Amino acid sequence: MQKSDRIKRAIAFYVSVVLFFITLPIVLSYSLGYKIDFIALKIYKTGILYINSRPSGASIYIDGNKFRDVTPAQIENMRPGTYKVEVRRQGFYPWEKDLEVLPNMVTRADKIILFPVTQEMNRVSDYPITDFMISEKSGIYYLTRDGLFRSNFDGGAFKRLSAYSDWPSQIMGKKISPDNNKFLYFTKTNIFIAYLNPDNSIAEEPELARIEEIFVSRSRIVDVFWYSDSGYIIVVTEREIKAVELRGGKSRNVVTLFKFNSKPKGLYYDEYNDSIYFSDNSVMDIPSGAAPSSENYLYRLDLRQKFLDSLKQLLMKKETGDIDEG
Amino acid sequence: MRDNNYFYRRLFEMIPGFLTWLTLGSLFIFAFIKPLWVAIFVITFDIYWVIRVGYLTLLLLFAYRRLEKAKKIDWLKKCEGAGTQYGLQLSDLYQAVLFPIYKEDFSVLNQSLSAIEQANYSKEKIIIVLSVEERGGDAVWENASRLLEKYSASFFKFIITKHPDGLPNEMQFKGANATWGAKVLKDFVDSKKIDYEKIVISCFDADTCAEREYFSCLAYHYITNPRRTRSSYQPIPVYNNNIWQARSIARILELGASFMQMIETMRLEKFVTFSSHSMSFKTLVDIDYWPVDMISDDSAIYWKCFLHFNGDYSVMPMYVTVSMDVATEKGVLDTMVKQYKQKRRWAWGVENFPYVMMGFLHNDKIPISKKLRRAFHLLEGHYTWAVWAIIVTFIAPLPLIFGGGLFRQTAIGYNLPSVSATLFRVSLFTLGTCIFITMRLLPPRPSGVKPQKMIVLILQWFVSPLVAAVLGSTPAIDAQTHLMLGKYIVHFNVTKKSREK
Repeated sequence: MQKSDRIKRAIAFYVSVVLFFITLPIVLSYSLGYKIDFIALKIYKTGILYINSRPSGASIYIDGNKFRDVTPAQIENMRPGTYKVEVRRQGFYPWEKDLEVLPNMVTRADKIILFPVTQEMNRVSDYPITDFMISEKSGIYYLTRDGLFRSNFDGGAFKRLSAYSDWPSQIMGKKISPDNNKFLYFTKTNIFIAYLNPDNSIAEEPELARIEEIFVSRSRIVDVFWYSDSGYIIVVTEREIKAVELRGGKSRNVVTLFKFNSKPKGLYYDEYNDSIYFSDNSVMDIPSGAAPSSENYLYRLDLRQKFLDSLKQLLMKKETGDIDEG
Repeated sequence: MRDNNYFYRRLFEMIPGFLTWLTLGSLFIFAFIKPLWVAIFVITFDIYWVIRVGYLTLLLLFAYRRLEKAKKIDWLKKCEGAGTQYGLQLSDLYQAVLFPIYKEDFSVLNQSLSAIEQANYSKEKIIIVLSVEERGGDAVWENASRLLEKYSASFFKFIITKHPDGLPNEMQFKGANATWGAKVLKDFVDSKKIDYEKIVISCFDADTCAEREYFSCLAYHYITNPRRTRSSYQPIPVYNNNIWQARSIARILELGASFMQMIETMRLEKFVTFSSHSMSFKTLVDIDYWPVDMISDDSAIYWKCFLHFNGDYSVMPMYVTVSMDVATEKGVLDTMVKQYKQKRRWAWGVENFPYVMMGFLHNDKIPISKKLRRAFHLLEGHYTWAVWAIIVTFIAPLPLIFGGGLFRQTAIGYNLPSVSATLFRVSLFTLGTCIFITMRLLPPRPSGVKPQKMIVLILQWFVSPLVAAVLGSTPAIDAQTHLMLGKYIVHFNVTKKSREK
């Protein structure tokens, strides 16, 4: 090796060694959250604030002082303590919170949503309505004094589907079917179905929708759910849980699945598993002579395929009794 | 004493593997239980590594400049009268080239011999020895015979000899074949009554194509070296024979090996012979040839000389290239397997550590400081080879993966990815240098290769850390583990050299 190469190599080596011993404490202290004050020759523990917002690009104020960067921003070398942090962007409501910065730690406020001051609001349709129904698949349904109408989500393609206009004054609830071909609405005692694609080929004036009352309950209806095949509805009244078959017209089948001991307080329908959860103070099989419990318990009624099979068996055996006329 | 020897040998065999596993194992365990410690270690190691790589890159640039300068030298002209003051004239010098052969194709050997034939050095002063392994089969012997017929008139002497299989104390390694060939050469040299010191011998792999200036350059270094028998002469190995056709994975690894060899020429205190190299025939005879029971014959011969001459032996770099084949296959997977096997064989050079340490134990004439320095360099080289890429690639993210939410909430947990990324960006300088030198060392693009290949040759470097981890470190760990457990590699896994027809 030539002498010049030896000298160059020696210089490179010693520069590397010096560089290592200079870089290491700086990078390590920065990584660990320490700040070196070279003038005072002191080391401070610091913390990091990480602020992000949706939308981004919002100004950050810390104890009233504007930070140089906008969101998303990493604010380093912060002395431990509590800071009043504000995130502002023109046209949006500000976000404000007291955040605590801990030594050698990162405080994150990175899920801030800034809501716009002026929300975009349009009248979808100029037609006066009694009520409406939304189907993710087919658009908006308008329940009006002149009949049932449908439009797309912008209010366009507005079209009358049916002349039916006898809408109840107090609709307690409404639900679109899983197959999106019909929706139900109900009052305290009555349940109606709107068929959105009825087969009217033999009618003189075919309508694009057909509304039919399918069930009248003797007790007050609490809620109604669609069974997953869209061919049944599960009706929960203050007294019972019933399954109502849509097909069959006047002779449609109605099965009482459960009778409550008391008015149900909690109710949830798991539409993926066709199971209904409810509270009741009864037990399924009360031993003879034993007093009913006054405590409420949570029950789950599984209505999956085996329910359909058992229902068929039940229907074959029974013609009356638990089977009501809708 | 025999028991003591066994104990020490096993101890030294265990040390490299033990250190490697201790490092990787403890880092892995501590990533679970003390992620903060591992994160601090990773950052410290990253800084050390980036600076070290930067330093080595500078050495690479220095070496490259030397190589470029040396290209402009007319070595033959420089030889004229150069050796007078050192007692050896060019006209008195013979060069022997020994090819230990196993199953290499005719075309591979033909290209290597053709390169020698085209050298700007008097062929009347060159002796070729093809030492053919008997177990290689008749076809190889027939190839050697064809080559004898083709080239015998071109050289001072062309010897072909068959190395019998299963000689006592020999393993089926290249060193045994090379030793056999050298002994046959000695018989010839004795018959001609040529002074051993007036012969410089080059031991080449079958695919080694020497640069046109190689023998002139070697002659100059040899005749002008007053301590010519106390030096080996190491050219820069490049892998240009099939570099355009090779798979990127293989290319990166071989280029990396070339670059490391160039860097080593700048670090003579730890410079060791590698692959094809040359030495005085007198020295070779004095030390009783290559070890016949070690896989890494290329480096083991250096250590044998070092111990024989009580530490008074060195390697002289020659800024002239010899070109070899990239170990590649058509498929990526096959290439990876081939590379893995080749790199594991290279990494088996770790066997030199117990060999050298045992030599040190029994040698009182080498100064203790020199022993410590050389032992450290040897151990550090193999240790670093095994662990660095694993630490940078696989250990570095572990604190974040296993550290849990609390660790990620700490400043260091938060900063670790960005600090590592910044350090990686700094090391892009090295990648840029590697790309630059690759382009300069590349042979002209063959007519059948598309120009777009040039883009691949640049982009390939960006996957180098991963390739280094998978095919650099892993074979080294494999070799060290085998040695540590005493499961010696007893079969020399020859990298198949053949050309597409």
